[in-house]
Amino acid sequence: MDVRDCYRILGGDYDEVLARFCNREELARKFLYKFLDDQSYGLLMESLHEQNMEEAFRAAHTLKGVSQNLGFDRLQKSVGELTEALRSGKERPSDALVEQVREDYKTTAEAIQMLRESVSD
Amino acid sequence: MRNRVLVVDDAELNREILKEILGQEYQVITAADGVEAIELLGRHHAELAVVLLDLIMPKADGFAVLEEMRKKGWMEKTPVLIISGETSAETEKKCFEYGVSDFIKKPFANDIIKKRVNNIIGLFQYQNELEEKVQKQTLALRKQYSLLQIQAEKLRKSNENIIEILGNVVEYRNVENGQHIRRVKGFTAILAKELMKEYPEYGLDEKKVELIVAASALHDIGKIAIPDKILLKPAKLTPEEFEYMKSHTTRGSEILDNFSHIWDEDYHKTTHEICRYHHERYDGRGYPDGLSGDAIPISAQLVSIADVYDALVSERVYKSAYSKEEAFHMIVSGECGVFSPKLLECFRNTRKQFEELADKYKS
Repeated sequence: MDVRDCYRILGGDYDEVLARFCNREELARKFLYKFLDDQSYGLLMESLHEQNMEEAFRAAHTLKGVSQNLGFDRLQKSVGELTEALRSGKERPSDALVEQVREDYKTTAEAIQMLRESVSD
Repeated sequence: MRNRVLVVDDAELNREILKEILGQEYQVITAADGVEAIELLGRHHAELAVVLLDLIMPKADGFAVLEEMRKKGWMEKTPVLIISGETSAETEKKCFEYGVSDFIKKPFANDIIKKRVNNIIGLFQYQNELEEKVQKQTLALRKQYSLLQIQAEKLRKSNENIIEILGNVVEYRNVENGQHIRRVKGFTAILAKELMKEYPEYGLDEKKVELIVAASALHDIGKIAIPDKILLKPAKLTPEEFEYMKSHTTRGSEILDNFSHIWDEDYHKTTHEICRYHHERYDGRGYPDGLSGDAIPISAQLVSIADVYDALVSERVYKSAYSKEEAFHMIVSGECGVFSPKLLECFRNTRKQFEELADKYKS
């Protein structure tokens, strides 16, 4: 499995990402792995659970920014919608939307995990 | 040389990407929220070439950082680029009002970010250097200006010294007693200040008034060229003698022309005018040139009234003193000299001051 396969699974345009990283695949790989350490998804879910909408908004916003930078088009779309839903700081977002983000994140993280494991094999 | 870049973003991954992009050319320091950023700015603001700033962050957001930078006056020296996803027009406007230079949109594209950062750093470096240069030049100019002022002051003193020396010559020759010269100066000052206030059309200001007053001390300098037998004659002069006496106006202006190269033009001009024209009459029947109206320089017109008034209220070898009351009416009625209506108006306005000064010297 290579990086291109990984992007196919998680839903993103690898060529575009590679171009932004000046065609340095090792850089793209390095930052993909770093995504697995990113705390914003965990913080988002925890804040939603605790009904801390302000914190949830910031976490969603961060996750969106990171997804943008890494070219995770699918995750970026759902988390972007969630960010807007949370922007007012009052309303609870719909369960369906939260579920979509959960699913997209899971797909993304699993794809990256698989990429990492395929290298270490 | 500012060679550090401060990256402020709450996502470590974003900070890492920017560090990767800029780390080769700059020393990158990072902050994960506004509080950390403000702390780092406090320590390093003078070394920072640029600040890359995220807006939405925990603890303190990007606007808190901008507010702090503005308060401390760091925005002028350090460019700020806002890192953002998509921002609303309103947010962008607010950022620009803080003096933010530009926006870096997500996703980050390595070479574009590098170029953008380099551009803005270059611009600010140029601007900072220019500002420094201007400041240095301003300082140098200010020094030169103060030097010039000292020189001008010296020159003014030297000009005044010449007047004083010449005044002493007049006094020493016993042409006039020192009291007369001082009183004429005093009367001239009263009248000139009133004229400056009431009739701006003469273009007088405090400097010009000061000069006229100083120069009035020399109005009779030509009398040093009049022989004693005429000048000090204790009786009425013959018509020939009187004609000769009148030449003190032209002789005085000629004496002063000899000095023209050693003092400022306006000193020469003013003293010359006063000497030559202080016996002209507004109706054209004075001497030596028979000038009339405002063709007579205003300096000479002023000294003329002062001189006549003082002659009237003083005792002379050939006459006793008139009372202040009589002197006032003789001048206002045109019985003694003919003067400009505007000057007479000033004279009427300042009657009290004239009389107080006359009393002061009498006692």
